[in-house]
Amino acid sequence: MKRSKRTAALALSAAAALLLTSCGFSGDKGGSNTAEGGQTTLEMLVPTYSTGTKALWEGVIKDFEAEHSDIKIDLEVQSWENIENVLKTKLQGNQAPDIYNGGAFAEYAAEGLLAPATDIASQATIDDFQPTFADAEKFEGTQYGLPLIASARALFYNEDLMKEAGVTEVPKTWDELYDASKAISEKTKSDGYGMPLGNEEAQGETLIWFAGNGGNFGDAEKIAVNTPQDLEAAEFMQKMINDGVTQNDPGATQRTPMLNTFIQGKLGFAYGLPQTVGQIEKENPKLNYGIAPVATKTGEPATLGVADRLMSFKKDGKNSAAVKEFFDYFYSADVYTKWVSTEGFLPTTKSGSEKLSGDKALKPFLDQLPNAVFYPTTNPAWNATDGAFKSLMGEIATGKSAKDVLDAIQAKADAAAK
Amino acid sequence: MSSSSLPVKAPAGRKRKRSTDNQSFLSSLPWIGPALLLILAIVVFPAGYMIYNSTRKISSVGTDLKSVGFDNFATIFSDPVLPRILLNTFFWVVSVVLITVILSLALAQFLHKPFPGRTLVRMAVVVPWAASVVMTTTVFYYGLDPNYGIFNHFFVQIGLMDEGFGWTKNAVPAMAVSVIVAIFVSIPFTTYTLLAGLQAVPTETLEAARMDGAGRWKTYIFVVLPQLRSALAVSVLINIINVFNNLPILKIMTGSIPGNDADTLMTYIFKVLQFDRRLDLSSALSVLNFAIVLVIVAIYLKTVKPMDEV
Repeated sequence: MKRSKRTAALALSAAAALLLTSCGFSGDKGGSNTAEGGQTTLEMLVPTYSTGTKALWEGVIKDFEAEHSDIKIDLEVQSWENIENVLKTKLQGNQAPDIYNGGAFAEYAAEGLLAPATDIASQATIDDFQPTFADAEKFEGTQYGLPLIASARALFYNEDLMKEAGVTEVPKTWDELYDASKAISEKTKSDGYGMPLGNEEAQGETLIWFAGNGGNFGDAEKIAVNTPQDLEAAEFMQKMINDGVTQNDPGATQRTPMLNTFIQGKLGFAYGLPQTVGQIEKENPKLNYGIAPVATKTGEPATLGVADRLMSFKKDGKNSAAVKEFFDYFYSADVYTKWVSTEGFLPTTKSGSEKLSGDKALKPFLDQLPNAVFYPTTNPAWNATDGAFKSLMGEIATGKSAKDVLDAIQAKADAAAK
Repeated sequence: MSSSSLPVKAPAGRKRKRSTDNQSFLSSLPWIGPALLLILAIVVFPAGYMIYNSTRKISSVGTDLKSVGFDNFATIFSDPVLPRILLNTFFWVVSVVLITVILSLALAQFLHKPFPGRTLVRMAVVVPWAASVVMTTTVFYYGLDPNYGIFNHFFVQIGLMDEGFGWTKNAVPAMAVSVIVAIFVSIPFTTYTLLAGLQAVPTETLEAARMDGAGRWKTYIFVVLPQLRSALAVSVLINIINVFNNLPILKIMTGSIPGNDADTLMTYIFKVLQFDRRLDLSSALSVLNFAIVLVIVAIYLKTVKPMDEV
């Protein structure tokens, strides 16, 4: 009796242990793309670029649905931190979204999950994209993604803090940025330079610095993040951190809160986005700041460019026609430019660029775009590299040597390329 | 008929007993069936699927490519960060459970004594339990922020520190504050389990101890504590499993720390899934996690024998 009781207890504990162990298994397979009575329902999964993103898409969808009564679009909005996990869960549960807005696409294309661009947009729409962006959407010669937005980084500087610290010139080179940040850190109560190497966007900050030394993350064939130029840049970043000219704990600092500190006027320099301009206008219009090109090693212009894309998971291909309707509608000049300019991004279409060429807030960023270095998103190992940067790059701030950190990231990229 | 039925009655009786066993199982099946199905569906099946996944090679997109036998296990055991992670996990579980149980023993003793407003205090103790763990942890996380956190602000104002410290930005302090939060949210359950145990201690035994001249400490150690054994056993076991498998607290408190210095097995599994996108490796790690919990539970049941004398 005693024995069986104990066995029962063991079994019970085992069951409890299992229950409490998170297995991360999702087994439900809801019908997502059922066509009922001639109506097609499209699942749409998008990330948030700003607090207004959801409302903006809802507006587009409402207008689209008013014109196309046979198509219904279910919108799901996720944060950038979660969206790829959500997508992965959906893919495993056979619930791939018909419309997806994301960063990387090559690994999905490599597995044959995506519909080619010609299936989901008319030739006129495809021809309207600027060739540089359209080329970045190709995997093995076929275009899959439709470039949605472009963005570049620029150096935001706080003029009041510079004056207080006696810095007169806006830094153009690494050394100037170092000296100016050091002056602000020492002579004012604020920190000099904001370096966000936390897992929100460590890869972005890193590539800005790598680009400033003529480096990059590799290309479509090979990820290379530990080249001599890259290493030199990483070592300079480490020097900034070790000499205390950045904020505390850069390895665990996320970009959004760091930029908030800049907006509050408590940070000398930070790399910001076109949206940062609008954010400052809304939250602290009195901030005395300026925007300048990225500081590079020699002063040669270079920056990080980002392009995100819309894509469609083809599944059984039944929804492609409806997706085509939507994309053709969305990329029409009026709808598209309204979307892009409300979000504060740079357009990727020819017609959109013409419409927005007079925008003053976008000018410093548009000017930098020709010298932008992009992520190697067409490399199927990019997603893993991206993850490795997010989880490991911050270690240069915790005493690990820059070489070890870059080698570790390279090792993860190589493991994913196999 | 009656004469011939008599000698066979005994074996028939035994047989009937066995058949009633069968019968009672069959007749009980409709009653326990739904529960059994539920356990099969949400416990046995996912666990089996996890073990199956751990022997597969799965692409980062989630396509099951092929079987690789035990390669995934070989990979995780040769991972140079694993020892540190296991050490962190050990420290995390032991410190949280030990401190929680000690504090809860004291708290339960206090709440057992009648005093004005006892009901209110008892209810207040439940609050951290009733609140969402993610919420509680997030409140702590923001409170500890170096720039605008209220704790840092307080420490700076009373002159303990010159400027805010990144409690949640460095491995060791982040683990330490996570331990505090974990204790905070584990205390209600533990205290209530122990309080229930205390209330079951017959007053006669305490009176007898007093008659025999035992002091307060001796009464507690030799009379009360042994009678709390089953309550202690339950609370320690549940806490070990719970703390071992805790993700939300550590994910929030130590999530922004680069590298794996502050990872426990649970957060590491999560990172392997989120950043490396290795479903197969994280499944293998989950199997390891599961095995460790099972071993702990087995050792515990073997040595403490909590189910005896229940």
